[in-house]
Amino acid sequence: MKNIQFLLALWKANLQASMEFRAAFLTQVVFMILNNGAYFVFWILYFDKFNEVRGWTLNDMMLLFGIAACSWGVAAYFFGNFTMLAEIIVKGRLDYYLSLPKPALLHALASRSIGSGMGDIIYGVGSFILSGYLSPEGFARFIFCVFTGVCIFIAFLIIVQSLSFWLGNTTALSQIALSALLTFSLYPSALFNTATKFILLTLVPAALIGSVPAEFVRSFAWDGFLQITAGALILLGLAVTVFRSGLKRYESGSAIQVEV
Amino acid sequence: MTAIEVRQLQKTFQTKRKAAGLGASARALFKPEYSEVEAVKKLSFQMDAGELLGFIGPNGAGKSTTIKMLTGILHPSGGEASVLGFTPWKERRKLAFHIGTVFGQRPQLWYHLPAIDTLLLFGKIYELDDREAKKRIEFLSEAFEIRDLLETPVRKLSLGQRMRCEVAASLLHRPKLILLDEPSIGLDVVAKQRIRDAIRRMNQEEGVGVLLTSHDAGDLEALCKRVIIVNHGQIVYEDKVSTLKRKHLTSKLVEVRYAQEIPSNFHLKGVELLKVGRYGVKLRFDSNQTPVDRVMAHLSGAGDLVDITISDPPVEEVIAKIYKDGPA
Repeated sequence: MKNIQFLLALWKANLQASMEFRAAFLTQVVFMILNNGAYFVFWILYFDKFNEVRGWTLNDMMLLFGIAACSWGVAAYFFGNFTMLAEIIVKGRLDYYLSLPKPALLHALASRSIGSGMGDIIYGVGSFILSGYLSPEGFARFIFCVFTGVCIFIAFLIIVQSLSFWLGNTTALSQIALSALLTFSLYPSALFNTATKFILLTLVPAALIGSVPAEFVRSFAWDGFLQITAGALILLGLAVTVFRSGLKRYESGSAIQVEV
Repeated sequence: MTAIEVRQLQKTFQTKRKAAGLGASARALFKPEYSEVEAVKKLSFQMDAGELLGFIGPNGAGKSTTIKMLTGILHPSGGEASVLGFTPWKERRKLAFHIGTVFGQRPQLWYHLPAIDTLLLFGKIYELDDREAKKRIEFLSEAFEIRDLLETPVRKLSLGQRMRCEVAASLLHRPKLILLDEPSIGLDVVAKQRIRDAIRRMNQEEGVGVLLTSHDAGDLEALCKRVIIVNHGQIVYEDKVSTLKRKHLTSKLVEVRYAQEIPSNFHLKGVELLKVGRYGVKLRFDSNQTPVDRVMAHLSGAGDLVDITISDPPVEEVIAKIYKDGPA
């Protein structure tokens, strides 16, 4: 309960910080909505020529985009440092979080808010509503999938970036991994062969963010539910374990920092 | 009662070695070479509750590494430490409720927000209830003279103002011990003095123990009763500050500027002239051998003074002297 209060206080501080630069915040939000919309135009043009691709229609793609964009948006807006963890580790900026009595990983992740994430959230919810799958049960499943999607995005990046404890700076590696995760999460896994599907369910768990949740929101199925839940829990457990093991090797640093 | 007990504490870092040039970079890619750097070498010391202990030494002496092990940020390579009864690297979060930390080079206040917002956030982090947090902020804002600064975004505060807010933030949860790592770095004389006064007050009124690292001998003289000097990860001196001052901090550096030209044969017995210019002079003297008032009288009698600066020798010089003379 105290950690929830702490998270709420952190998010409030993030909101206050973003309100110091309102115009920049609003611009980021608007441009991210436009950016996502422009990207989706490709699928609108595609489905104008073909009615479906391996059972996936334009509405299904809107649903998939809605879940993936919203998951990314929530992760970026509420846990914005999840893309910066490698840099935080390498530059010794974990010192700040380790000197305070709250869970260092949670504190580090939630101490930054990426304003454009709000644009992704708005776009994602809009895309879900327009997909035609809006119903009380569909909405509940959508929220569940966004929640697990957030966990998978964050956990995957924690694992990759925690390698910095052993390998040094993995910022470039994490950017490649993030790019792969994001790209593949926006395609239906029906397009890929069995080996690729296996990779997308394990090594680069993009299918657990995009196509599996989209199928689950379309119609409830236990195997989909178990895949998503188990994937999120295993990845989160692994992320926390890898990060904690890495902390024992943390070397801090003497870089002068001028702001938090 | 003992606040800190350190026994044979060690920290070794592994660093990559590479010769200059592209060829060496390519070789290092396939066959990296590492060397071990002992930042802290079997350090042992004790600190009592409520004590003002100075932990000084030049850059790279191992001060910050020691502080980071005592707060649980770094895991040691060997040895033991107990801080307020906790093993820092095993019970880091429990310990953090009882200690405050300030890293002079690492701000903890949110840069774009007024300090009051970070202080209220710290209230949540330390699990204080809102009323208690506000009451404490009220007290600290008076003790650190920051009442008028609290609502200004931190990015618009001067370094000295910001550092007063930083130290105040570290005391929000009434810690029994604060670990200050270079709190006066980059500050001017006035700002340093205000920080020192506030820290001394908190020590006297609330019994907060202070472990202070600095490479500024002034911090040590103004605040600490006892001092540990470290160099190359080892203790080279441990005694009362008064003893250190009597034996080793006796040299003073003086820089003077005059309104008119000074005689070219300017000299003073018992004083080493480091630089003599047309309008100014830089000198050093040992206050044990040459009384300060005699030097001052001579300097003021030599012409109309425009500016005068008196400073202590850098810690590096004190350490070199301790090495030369022995700890005595």
